[in-house]
Amino acid sequence: MKGLLSLEQITKAYPGVLANDAVDFDVKPGEIHALLGENGAGKSTLMKVLSGQTKPDAGRIVWKDQETAIASPQASKALGIGMVHQHFAVFDGMSVGENVALGLGRDFDASQRDSIRETSEKYGLPLNPDALVFTLSAGEKQRIEIVRALLGEPQLLILDEPTSVLTPREAEALFATLRLLRDEGRGLVFISHKLNEVRALCNRATILRGGKVVATCVPAEKSAEEIAEMMIGTRPVPTRKAAKRIGALALSVDGLTNDEVSIPSLQVSAGEIVGVAGVAGNGQEALYALLSGETLAAEASSISLHGQTIGRRGPGERRVMGAAFVPEERLGHAAVPDFSLIDNTLLTNIQTEGFQRRGLLDWTRTREHSEEICAGYDVRHAGVTGRASSLSGGNLQKFIVGRELIKSPSVLVVNQPTWGVDMGSATNIRDRLKALAEAGSAVLVISQDLDELFELADRLCVLNHGVLSPTRPTADWTAETLGVAMAGDADRSAAATLVEERAT
Amino acid sequence: MIRLVPRSHFGVWSTVFPLLIALGLTVVVGFVVLLAMSEQPLSDIWTLLTYPWQARTASVQWGFVLQKTSYLAVIAVGLSIGFRANVWNIGAEGQFAFGSIAAFAGYLLCGMPDTVWFLPVMLAFGVAGGVLWALIPAALRVIANTNELLTSLMLVYVAANVLNYVTTGPWKGDPKAGQAESDPIHQSLQIVSIIERTDLHWGVVISGGAIVALALVVLFTIFGYSLRVAQNTPRAQRFAGFSPNMTIWLSFIISGAMAGLAGAIYLSAETGKLIQSENYLNGLGFTAIVIAFLGRLHPFGIVAAAFLISYVNVGATYVQSASGVDDAVADLVQVTALFAVLGTAFLSRYRVVFGAQAILGERTA
Repeated sequence: MKGLLSLEQITKAYPGVLANDAVDFDVKPGEIHALLGENGAGKSTLMKVLSGQTKPDAGRIVWKDQETAIASPQASKALGIGMVHQHFAVFDGMSVGENVALGLGRDFDASQRDSIRETSEKYGLPLNPDALVFTLSAGEKQRIEIVRALLGEPQLLILDEPTSVLTPREAEALFATLRLLRDEGRGLVFISHKLNEVRALCNRATILRGGKVVATCVPAEKSAEEIAEMMIGTRPVPTRKAAKRIGALALSVDGLTNDEVSIPSLQVSAGEIVGVAGVAGNGQEALYALLSGETLAAEASSISLHGQTIGRRGPGERRVMGAAFVPEERLGHAAVPDFSLIDNTLLTNIQTEGFQRRGLLDWTRTREHSEEICAGYDVRHAGVTGRASSLSGGNLQKFIVGRELIKSPSVLVVNQPTWGVDMGSATNIRDRLKALAEAGSAVLVISQDLDELFELADRLCVLNHGVLSPTRPTADWTAETLGVAMAGDADRSAAATLVEERAT
Repeated sequence: MIRLVPRSHFGVWSTVFPLLIALGLTVVVGFVVLLAMSEQPLSDIWTLLTYPWQARTASVQWGFVLQKTSYLAVIAVGLSIGFRANVWNIGAEGQFAFGSIAAFAGYLLCGMPDTVWFLPVMLAFGVAGGVLWALIPAALRVIANTNELLTSLMLVYVAANVLNYVTTGPWKGDPKAGQAESDPIHQSLQIVSIIERTDLHWGVVISGGAIVALALVVLFTIFGYSLRVAQNTPRAQRFAGFSPNMTIWLSFIISGAMAGLAGAIYLSAETGKLIQSENYLNGLGFTAIVIAFLGRLHPFGIVAAAFLISYVNVGATYVQSASGVDDAVADLVQVTALFAVLGTAFLSRYRVVFGAQAILGERTA
């Protein structure tokens, strides 16, 4: 048997876009094959073909040297293809065991409990079958998905951005598991944006761009920059830290506490970027909401903007004072999905001068402004009257960030500036944020992307279990020390496993 | 094989097409019902659908259709604002009643002026009364977090009893009348017909103006914008700096104002006096809820739905009296229309693809 799976000349068209254009892709037993590409490059479509969710227009699927068709997700499973999704399909109110059994279409009983324990121990995925899912960390929820996939005895396992929600330490543990699976002779497909992970883990990489295969390489032999260049086509601008002049204190937090977060102290001055690192679900949303005024602080004095206390003032008043905010969620928070770009332009400009005349909205002015944002921030769109939900993630994010940056805010708070955004747009947005700080604004970036934080921030702090650490200059941090500071979850679950093992 | 394919574009056709299907379904069900209830179903349904044209008193019938349309539409448009923002005021009937009571109270308070120039003031009193009554469930919701569905509905019965109290107590008029009623307002304050001897009166024009004014407010003011943002995107609402409680207050104020205006017009144009609730309130405030959803909470849709229901109602009323069919027919038709419209609503978001096309559709979709 030469190969495990081979896709030949797979072509799939959607209206207006050729998602896969004669794509060749193969996986051998005992290898981890990375599938790389920007958002929209065709990775998801190719994986949908493999998991039986869609049928290709043309091309052959060869499984263990035999041509086959994958008509449905069930057929895909029956062949021996397992899938670990980026967004976990687990029920919070049920136990681990019940979730696993549900995915396999069986009842949860004693034999299930044993097989879950056996599998999870064998592959270094500690899981307690009786734990309730809502008590688990993201890493543990992912283990449920992997164990569930493994119980189906797959020969090919597909992992879609598996490390996007993990701490560095949890990611290392996952890699150990994946290497074990590889050494058993299974084939693995690893989809990721994180090039350093791919270089450390994968035997081969196939790079997609615009629906076509542009290269296949051994990632360890290439630098991350070279791979990135293949993915986006042009060489990304090397990061350069300009000498900055730090100005007056702009945003200051002192003893801010509510049910979800506790921020003993945080200062951001004009001209600098402060980064807040942390794994998703550690209070980023609550921190953002307190700073934007969407949640009011208990004490007015706990937040100051340009020396004035603003803890009890709402987002509108804070905007009037020169602040601007970019929330994480694009649709339904930063933008109204069913609104046109014109309507959405007004969302953060209600208090801005020139958008109202004698109490009436000036739609002409708003329309012009939305066109200025789109032109100035490279938003590719089919007209400003189009709905926000019709834009791609990257373009909508450029619009949402541009809507704030065009105001040259003296303070900007941005939560996950490039989350789920294609690499070209992400680079664009980061460059704009740097330019804003260089022009003298105070910028606070909350992000899960460590590379992004190292690139942008002058100082860094960590949000862990809702508690914000003191900031230190970025140069004083390494990926490892930052990872350890973020890793509260991993430590806790490891400890829990130990206690549980002793009890049984 | 039948498949549903999401529509990528929304046009006029994707809105109109499901409504046509709904209309067809309503006619079919209405026919089946008449088949069971009437001895001459064919001629009855023909009469029901064409009566306003063929009646000898066509202008009267059309006047009646338009008059009823205006009440239903003006109340329903007000309600739709709140419904879109998930604020459920289902007590428009009570706000309508209180609008009438307040208009009459204003008339008495100002010393029963006998001039047409007082009419706007009287209507303003009506609007204020509707708002006042609507503010009660709004305040309960904001302060005590009570469910506004329950409170607004219960206040309908309170308002009806207030109406009964004033017509039997302090404002009791002619004791020889067959019902509890107040003295009539001056003739000069009774809205007159545009076309003589029909129900097409200036109140219809005033209602139309109110609907247009509300539409302009929603489109061109910050306050209207805030209501549109509030619709199903509460986080964006807070992000923009609008308070969710403000949405509740404003939704109730608008719907109360529109129902109150309708109540004041009704007092001036239809009865000229307050009458005990059973003979005064005829469910316009409740029917308007149905109309709001039939019109998909869109002003144009609501006016169209109000017109259709009023039109069918006129025919149904005639058929009822002419051929002795039970008067439940009109209600049945109305309910069928509601089910049909809601049941076909998904067609505006999805295309249905049949047979071989379904497989082809999957290729190209």
